[in-house]
Amino acid sequence: MASLAPELAAELRAFLAARDTVVAEIAVIQPADPFLDMAGESLRGRIFLTENESGQTLCLRPEFTIPVCRDHVAAGVAAPARYAYLGEVFRQRREGGSEFFQAGIEDLGDGDLAGADARSLADALALVRTIAPAARWTVTLGDQAVFEAVVRALGLPAGWRRRLARAFGVPGQIEALLVELGRERRSGFDLPGPAAAALAAGDEAALAAAVAARMEALGFTAASGRSAAEIAARLIEQATLDRARLSPGEIALLRRFLAIRAPLRDAVAALGDFAASLNSGMAPVIAAFAARAERLADLGVDLGAITYDAAFGRPLDYYTGLVFEIAAQGLPGPVVGGGRYDRLLTLLGAPAPVPGVGFSVWLDRLERAR
Amino acid sequence: MSLTIGLPSKGRLREAALARFTQAGLVVAEAADARAYRAAVKGEPDVEVRFLSAGEIARELASGAIDLGVTGEDLIRENIADWERRVAVAARLGFGHADVVVAVPAVWYDVRTMADLEDVAADFRARHGRRLRIATKYWRLTQEFFSRQHGIQVYRIVESLGATEGAPASGQADVIVDITTTGSTLRANHLRVLADGVILRSQACLVAAIGEREPADQALLERLAARFR
Repeated sequence: MASLAPELAAELRAFLAARDTVVAEIAVIQPADPFLDMAGESLRGRIFLTENESGQTLCLRPEFTIPVCRDHVAAGVAAPARYAYLGEVFRQRREGGSEFFQAGIEDLGDGDLAGADARSLADALALVRTIAPAARWTVTLGDQAVFEAVVRALGLPAGWRRRLARAFGVPGQIEALLVELGRERRSGFDLPGPAAAALAAGDEAALAAAVAARMEALGFTAASGRSAAEIAARLIEQATLDRARLSPGEIALLRRFLAIRAPLRDAVAALGDFAASLNSGMAPVIAAFAARAERLADLGVDLGAITYDAAFGRPLDYYTGLVFEIAAQGLPGPVVGGGRYDRLLTLLGAPAPVPGVGFSVWLDRLERAR
Repeated sequence: MSLTIGLPSKGRLREAALARFTQAGLVVAEAADARAYRAAVKGEPDVEVRFLSAGEIARELASGAIDLGVTGEDLIRENIADWERRVAVAARLGFGHADVVVAVPAVWYDVRTMADLEDVAADFRARHGRRLRIATKYWRLTQEFFSRQHGIQVYRIVESLGATEGAPASGQADVIVDITTTGSTLRANHLRVLADGVILRSQACLVAAIGEREPADQALLERLAARFR
């Protein structure tokens, strides 16, 4: 069994308690479905699964953010809350043991997004600096909302904007989509006669009826799956997406945006310069970005020591804005990962949207940086 | 010194494997009782043959319990974690052809490619309150193809042990990943393979376990494998 040095644990607990947090008590054995639903099936090979007597799939806690948020939703807490945790997590890793410790803070329900973002990053930095004062830290910051604003400014149809937003943070996939967007694409569907005629006429109702007739003839009931109306709507949308193209100039512009890397101190100006080359609507997003940077400076964070990387993001659908990583120079892998996940709590069943931002520290890596 | 070879214990795969061994000059001396699970090879006193199911052959190769085996490439890639470090394909044998494919209901006229399926998967939860479900017995191949090659993260796998092709019509799953030889079963169930939905073109292979062996055994293994090239 892995263990955490008692003096490190004590230091961490003292740090977290001094940051205006309540301790979240999270069970080690968790239902597996929320993790697989949120993070996807590729997590399955990396977590430890088991079953209870009634066949429910359970797992050893692979991380804290999802259970902290689930418990918050289940408790029906309406007021903003800041949860701290420190405990063991269990994952199959290529290197390192499969039991290790994480600590972190999840800040849920605070509507002052810029302030909560800044506090999360400032807390994370203060934590690693308190525990490992001699290490040298590199901080990388990205923002999903800025990327989405750039894509919106290019005037692409919604379907393409969503595709690009989902690929954000995965360079190979963004590149593949840019290639797709730059070339002439052949449209066309293999449709039965009545459906083809309805599509050609742009008659969505007739198209849905034709699809429904085929579904019934082939024995598909849409009780829980895709309906004829959904298929018809997407056929019509897809015909538009197939026609959408970006000019070489627009693609160069997107690439220029993704290549922006600047100290946060200079990033607002860099984004302003970039936005000037679009006729754009990016002002509100840049203002929010600048407000966050200001709040960070107010908290005493050196904006010259944080790198804004315009291409940095996480390909999970619940991340909505800020993402950040803190790494120790000379050590592989991030020591801290954090970000804003405003879609997560509704995905986990919250009746209304709840903003959330937080970070996790890999304590085995932090210990090595000490 | 000795080597153990695993051969399929049943059906056409067994017949084809035995024929291919004979063609390579390795005559498996089957016991009078066709159900016997062990046999010898004429003129190769240091070789023992064990008859196992194709799935067991993949597992026994991974654990090193057998040295050589004939099994499907799909089973090697599906059943062995990090397969390239643990086994090596010595020869593709030209029988047992089958494709592992992604198939959707034929009425999903808008879904032609994996990129279309990615769109559908991404919106699925918002529209239907649950993730897109894929019925398959190929967990590993599905995850690699969807997550790593096509960047599709949000879907759920529904384990299917047999009759996978019926899952979409019965409402148990939305799409399937399954093995097909002629495609007729898929067509009969009104399913269509996506244009870029072939995950693997599989066939029977002679597969060697990677591991420490006595030099004489290693030389024998290489001499036997060379007969199939």
